[in-house]
Amino acid sequence: MTTGPGPHTRLAGGLLLWYGVLGGAVAWAAHLLVAWPLDELTCAAGRERVAAVPLWLAVWLAVVIPGLVTVGSLLVATLVWRRTARASSAGAEDRAVDRSRMLAVVGVWANLLFLTIIVLGGVAVLVFPPCQG
Amino acid sequence: MSTTTSTAPAVGRDDLARLAEHWAEPRSLRSWFTTVDHKRIGRRYLVTAAFFFVLAGLSALVMRTQLARPESGVVSPQEYNQLFTMHGTAMIFLFATPMLFGFGNFLVPLMIGSRDMAFPRLNAFGYWVFLFAGLFMWASLPFGAAPNNGWFAYAPLNQVQHNPGLHMDVYALGLLFLGISTTSGAINFIVTALKLRAPGMSLNRVPLFVWAIVATAFMVIFALPALNADNAMLFFDRRFGTHFFDPSGGGNVLLWQHLFWIFGHPDVYIIVLPALGIVSAVLPAFTRRGVVAYSLIVLSIVAIAIISFGVWVHHMFATGLPQLSYSFFSAASTVITIPSGIQIFAWLATMLLGRLVSRVPLLFVIGFIVTFVLGGFTGAMFALTAFDQQVTDSYFVVAHFHYVLIGGAVFPMLAGIYYWLPKITGRMYHEGLGRWAFWLAFTGMHVTFFPMHLTGLFGMPRRVYTYRSEPGWDGWNLVSTVGSYLLALGLLLVLVGVVHAVRRGRPAPADPWEGDSLEWSTASPPEPYNFPVIPRVRSLHPTWDARTAESTTTGATADRVLSDGRRTLFTSELDARTERAVAMPEPSYKPLVLAGALLVFFTAMLLAAYPIAVVAVLVVAATIAAWLWPPRRPDEELGVAS
Amino acid sequence: MTDRGGVVAAATGVAALTTEEPVGRPTGWWGMVLFVATEATLFACLLGSYFYLRFQFGPQWPPGGVDKPKLLIPLLMTAVLVPSSLPVIWAEHGIRRGRRGRLRAGLAATLVLGLGFLALLAVEYAENLKHFTMTTDVYGSLFYLITGFHGLHVLVGLTMIGWLLAASLRGGSFGSHRHERVRNAAIYWHFVDTVWVAILFTIYLSPRL
Ligand code: HEM
Ligand SMILES: [Cu+2]
Repeated sequence: MTTGPGPHTRLAGGLLLWYGVLGGAVAWAAHLLVAWPLDELTCAAGRERVAAVPLWLAVWLAVVIPGLVTVGSLLVATLVWRRTARASSAGAEDRAVDRSRMLAVVGVWANLLFLTIIVLGGVAVLVFPPCQG
Repeated sequence: MSTTTSTAPAVGRDDLARLAEHWAEPRSLRSWFTTVDHKRIGRRYLVTAAFFFVLAGLSALVMRTQLARPESGVVSPQEYNQLFTMHGTAMIFLFATPMLFGFGNFLVPLMIGSRDMAFPRLNAFGYWVFLFAGLFMWASLPFGAAPNNGWFAYAPLNQVQHNPGLHMDVYALGLLFLGISTTSGAINFIVTALKLRAPGMSLNRVPLFVWAIVATAFMVIFALPALNADNAMLFFDRRFGTHFFDPSGGGNVLLWQHLFWIFGHPDVYIIVLPALGIVSAVLPAFTRRGVVAYSLIVLSIVAIAIISFGVWVHHMFATGLPQLSYSFFSAASTVITIPSGIQIFAWLATMLLGRLVSRVPLLFVIGFIVTFVLGGFTGAMFALTAFDQQVTDSYFVVAHFHYVLIGGAVFPMLAGIYYWLPKITGRMYHEGLGRWAFWLAFTGMHVTFFPMHLTGLFGMPRRVYTYRSEPGWDGWNLVSTVGSYLLALGLLLVLVGVVHAVRRGRPAPADPWEGDSLEWSTASPPEPYNFPVIPRVRSLHPTWDARTAESTTTGATADRVLSDGRRTLFTSELDARTERAVAMPEPSYKPLVLAGALLVFFTAMLLAAYPIAVVAVLVVAATIAAWLWPPRRPDEELGVAS
Repeated sequence: MTDRGGVVAAATGVAALTTEEPVGRPTGWWGMVLFVATEATLFACLLGSYFYLRFQFGPQWPPGGVDKPKLLIPLLMTAVLVPSSLPVIWAEHGIRRGRRGRLRAGLAATLVLGLGFLALLAVEYAENLKHFTMTTDVYGSLFYLITGFHGLHVLVGLTMIGWLLAASLRGGSFGSHRHERVRNAAIYWHFVDTVWVAILFTIYLSPRL
């Protein structure tokens, strides 16, 4: 019987759902596209720093920031999953809820996978000197 | 919703007559060239891809015959180079992907409850381009001008100073030409799946096969440009003297390798994903239950599609780059095995929990699981960089990727052929013949390729036209060759089985397997309009679900019959709410003309007849302009303000 | 449900989170967006190749005595091409309200600007060809391939615009209910514009960094 949220809120909610589903994927892609060429090209040019920043730190940032974005995405996906759980146990048969719930499940697991990849890459930054061949 | 007026039984006879009239597919020559029916186009894709498979398979048999004994002279080194290159290139580009696109073309509209693809004429165009591009490439073989650089065409060997002649020009132009077909097909699949699903089929009710095809299509969209850019640069290097891959002019050979594998690794999954989708589609009918863990399989499909873009450097572990930049890729290469594992376990669980119905499609699914898991196992061995550096470019690699490709793509396709043959042709196949085919193909596959692991470990390099007699090599090579004949015999029996079914098979009922997805609620073979009534989908297994069935019988409404014209429904992207009925295009010659003009263009480029190429481009532009030219409508209909 | 306490609470309510988005796009729109996506990836590959080859080449770039690219003409080209998206937007908004005159005028303006861009490209080529060609070295190869490929896209875009203009001059083609083709061509044109900015940065500005 409620009128429900306004169009802007709805849009925000719809986009938030997609952040929960694909946020980790996008963050990981950004991580790879920054960290890899940064390392390879700087080393190939025979340098160990990017502008004033030491190379290892730059690469490290290219790991940590996407990692945090992924954690955020994971939290959002979990939130959607819990909210929709409540809605569907309340008994309303609404395929939009079931659909969002499925996407949330996909989001939770996908974000865990991407977080694993990013963290493994981060461990490597701690282990290897950036330009060791 | 509850106030629906109509409770009339199914559809009236006049509705059916009108549908038949609007969607008629006469058996005439004209209709053969102009058809836009996704089922006919899908069938053509299947047949044409099978034809290229036979050519590539025969090339392989010649190679195996040559390698049966040391130092034999069946073919010359030059011929051998062209044979293995054409074998690999054709298997990957002209067989695997188009074959799966053929399944997709035939099945996606049926599975989602639509009357055609989103862009039917584009679909016809895509087929003609595929056919012409395939013929374009194979035609070079009799002239001794076929590609000869291996299917991944590494630089610098692909450069004109090392490899004169037309060989690699055929490769570059042929793949660019084919890319047009693949890209247009991919766009078509995505839009179809987004907009043409039957009302009620929200994303959580989309069949797994459709998910797989859509994920594959997205991968094509983002992976193929890398190959296209690569081939365009290659052609410029060879023909117009640029220096992209030429170190003497400041270029870099590794650029080719990078771009190729940015495409190439996802391509492995472009081939395997839809095949896995076939497995998920086939299993429910033969285990009498839905596939376990639907959401996780969707996750696995999506995750594989994305992660596969981040692993390309593992093909280049032998080339020497900083350790750290490797590790980013090693991480992805390791993690991508998790989603693949999820699917395997979900299928095994499905088989354990279900009641198995042992028919030929199920046999091929089991053959697939066994073979694919073995291939995955050797694949995991490559993830160890040290091991990889040891066996790179040996027969071990050949063994590995045939396990993956034959296990992961060919067996599922064969399962799919037997499974959907009744739907495609309206006839049942011969079960006994099918079993023979399975056992021969399965045994042949392992007898051929298992020994290659050994010859590889003994040090036999791949891509050699012959070898000196060495302990361990001779015997195993002979075994491989015998195995390849067995495999060929098995595949021949598949062909015999199909022909037998078409000629003599007993007529198939609409739903011989009691399958779960919507294609089984159409006639066998389906009418040109697929569904007399577009169903209203109520669950993930609509054909097993009484309420969905009711929506096409007593619950049929005029807005889903749509018999006054050639029409189907648009629904919303995520939840499939009805949006509007739309008119679908009529048959047309334009797709064929456009593809023909492109064939002229690429041939002219190959033969350096540039003025002809320019003319062809003009024809292409004119055809597209005419194709999309808006029909004239009265101002009231258009909505014109003064 | 609507908690006035915060936007956040509302946006994370079930009703908001289950909103369908994207929704209601026509097939043509999806087709064009996907086409542009694949084309954009192609340009990304080409520009990525530029940076790869450049960094692998070594510190001296452009190599072999070629001067750093001059900026006057490319900046003029930018000044012509980037604003050319505005008349298209204006035309599209016009036809959505059924204003055919605006459609025609807007398309014609874009056509003129686009042709101006190609003319400037020709001047730029004439100037550069005096110093280096596609076969001089890898720098020349990259320069001509990337700018030429983009020029080709401008040409294709202009063909679309000209085609729309012809169809709208004939009459009976577009109106407030029928303007999908205009929108799709507009998407393509904006894409061609955006790519130019990336090229300006890569080819002309980055060697000066
Ligand atoms: C029908 C049975 C098949 C046989 C007997 C066979 C045999 C062979 C042999 C002997 C080679 C190695 C040539 C060499 O390195 O000297 C080869 C290479 C290859 N095969 Fe197959 N094959 C078969 C099916 C397939 C299938 C179904 C696919 C893919 C879908 C495939 C893809 C490839 C590829 C990509 C290569 C590498 C070509 C290259 O080195 O550039 N093959 N095959
Ligand atoms: Cu790979």
